Amino acid sequence: MDVKKAISTDTVFQDLKSTTKTGVIEEILDLLIAAGKIRKENRAEVLNALLVRENKMSTGMQHGIAIPHAKTDAVEDLVAALAIKKEGIDFDALDGKPSHIFIMTISPVKRTGPHIQFLAEISRKLNQPSIREKLLLTQTKDEILQLL
Amino acid sequence: METILAIPGLLLASVAEHAVERDMTHLMTQYILQLAVIMLAARMGGFLVKRYLNGPAALGELAAGMAIGPCALGAWHIPGWGALFPPVAGIFPVSTELYALATLASIVLLFLSGLETDLRVFLHYSVAGIVVGTGGLLASFFLGAWCALLFNVADSLMDPSALFMGAMATATSVSLPARILSEKRKMASPEGVTILAAAVFDDVLGIIALAIIVGMSKTMASGAVMDWGKISVVAVKSIGFWLILMAAGLLLAKHIARVLKLLRSPNTIAAICFGLALLLAGISEMAGLAMIIGAYIMGLSLSGTDLVYELQEQLQGVYDFIIPVFFCVMGMLVNFAAMKGLIFFGLVYTVMCIISKVAGCGIPALFMKFTPRGAFRVGAGMVPRAEVTLIVAGIGLSAGYIGPNLFGVAVMMAMLTTVAAPPMILSAFRGGSGVRGEETAQEQELSTAVLTFPSADMAEFICARITRAFRNEEFFVHMLDSDVPTYQIRKEDMAFSIVQDDVHITISMPLQYEHVGRLIVLEEVLALKDLLDSAKDMQSPDQMGTDLVSNLFV
Repeated sequence: MDVKKAISTDTVFQDLKSTTKTGVIEEILDLLIAAGKIRKENRAEVLNALLVRENKMSTGMQHGIAIPHAKTDAVEDLVAALAIKKEGIDFDALDGKPSHIFIMTISPVKRTGPHIQFLAEISRKLNQPSIREKLLLTQTKDEILQLL
Repeated sequence: METILAIPGLLLASVAEHAVERDMTHLMTQYILQLAVIMLAARMGGFLVKRYLNGPAALGELAAGMAIGPCALGAWHIPGWGALFPPVAGIFPVSTELYALATLASIVLLFLSGLETDLRVFLHYSVAGIVVGTGGLLASFFLGAWCALLFNVADSLMDPSALFMGAMATATSVSLPARILSEKRKMASPEGVTILAAAVFDDVLGIIALAIIVGMSKTMASGAVMDWGKISVVAVKSIGFWLILMAAGLLLAKHIARVLKLLRSPNTIAAICFGLALLLAGISEMAGLAMIIGAYIMGLSLSGTDLVYELQEQLQGVYDFIIPVFFCVMGMLVNFAAMKGLIFFGLVYTVMCIISKVAGCGIPALFMKFTPRGAFRVGAGMVPRAEVTLIVAGIGLSAGYIGPNLFGVAVMMAMLTTVAAPPMILSAFRGGSGVRGEETAQEQELSTAVLTFPSADMAEFICARITRAFRNEEFFVHMLDSDVPTYQIRKEDMAFSIVQDDVHITISMPLQYEHVGRLIVLEEVLALKDLLDSAKDMQSPDQMGTDLVSNLFV
């Protein structure tokens, strides 16, 4: 599937400021609200869905990748974002290492679609060490999209 | 005076009516007893083969039929009753009533087979399916028909006997390889995926071929001599009829489904759909084709609607009841006396049927991405023949296109290929990759995840949720076996398999796509936590139980 269909320059965020797990999730969510992808009045509902999912099992995977995601009917279609924090933060990752690359997806409960598949496909791309390294060296959003 | 004269007439009429009634009662009693014996023998045969030989139940059901049939134990004289299955005059050894039941079963079988063929998947995976399926179909048809010439049971390839020997050789029965591959966790392998796709094509092409063959045989039976011009006319007519029915089915299926859903009764919906399958089967026969063609087209048309799972569930009971009877009655049709001197022919025909699929499917597979080892696997997986071969043979026998000798040969071939296939498939799948190119082979390697639950009920529940999760992700989910719930899950070039066996759920996925498979399953496993948490909030089961029975004994 074409990852770029769900991620555009509007939803690629560099240099996150937050230094905590919840802070990063909230920051990406706010950036998505500012980009007009999620309604402001739905912020609490979406945040809650993301945190509930994190509580079940951390979405911090290996090699600096985290995939915070949730299903909620506060969105009508798949909303996806890719964010980078070069310094990395503790995201309760499976390998215990800091997470640098965050792929967030929020998908509707009631509508079927390749939502988890999207997350999996992008994770598969990031499985290649060279792509991860290059992502952390990128300067512009276009460079990030090119790598995907 | 007129009244007095009329009395003997009335008396005679009454006696005659009484005799007819008694005759009917006797016939019905005999029929019911026959059914009882068939049902018991079929189930017992199926159980024994499954339990002690680890083979398919169909083999035991066929063997049971051969044992109790009118040409074996069924002809024995029971004191005070006579033979339970008295041989019927002519070439057809069982009664019309019993064969009617087998015909009904063949319609159920093909209707369900059509329903299981997801048309979208069928079109999507057409390349591998068409190449391998067509290769196997052509090779088996011509080698099968050539056998008839070799043993002088037909004068030319245009002889109905040769055409039917060819048609009987074509249809692969995929349930057996599917079960073996799922047990060996190879169903999601490139070879497994290709076998299942080719078998679908094999079914569709085989049914079209049957339509042409029945049309040709009927034309020849009317005394006409077939030349290529006439063959073309029959072929165009048969394919034209197939296309018209298929197009009408596809155009109307969605509307039929929408209207039927207004009834809000799954039972009624299933009964009406099956009624429509019978209707199309009848129309098909009237148009000069076989009944099973109409039933298959009805199933195929409805396979694209959202009624499909409901229909499969509702008709599963009918299937479980009638299919063992079908195999048993087919076994009963075997006339051992007519088979004398044909054992060698039967063996050669069986060997040809095996070679034709191994080579016919294997050689085209070589031109795709498979190594000789992979191509042999694909060919071996296409070897077993069963239900469609028997149905075609039954059609040929009942219409007189083939004699009891060739029918026996067909049953022999179906049984021997079913016995020969498992060891062939098992040995073929030993060893490394069957795909060309190291990188491709590595990508196609399978990764397996096994989840174990505290009870089979829970595993069944989670399995249903996992398959639903895949459907929600727009995957095609196809149930291959209901005894050990086995699913094939496909989308684009991804193919996973899920098997639920007792407390275990095994998910096989190509390494290349394991991210997708594992993440989808993970979400469902995590959702279980919500479910367990909500169970804690539920009223105590003890309290519920007490509430349920507290006022029973006042």
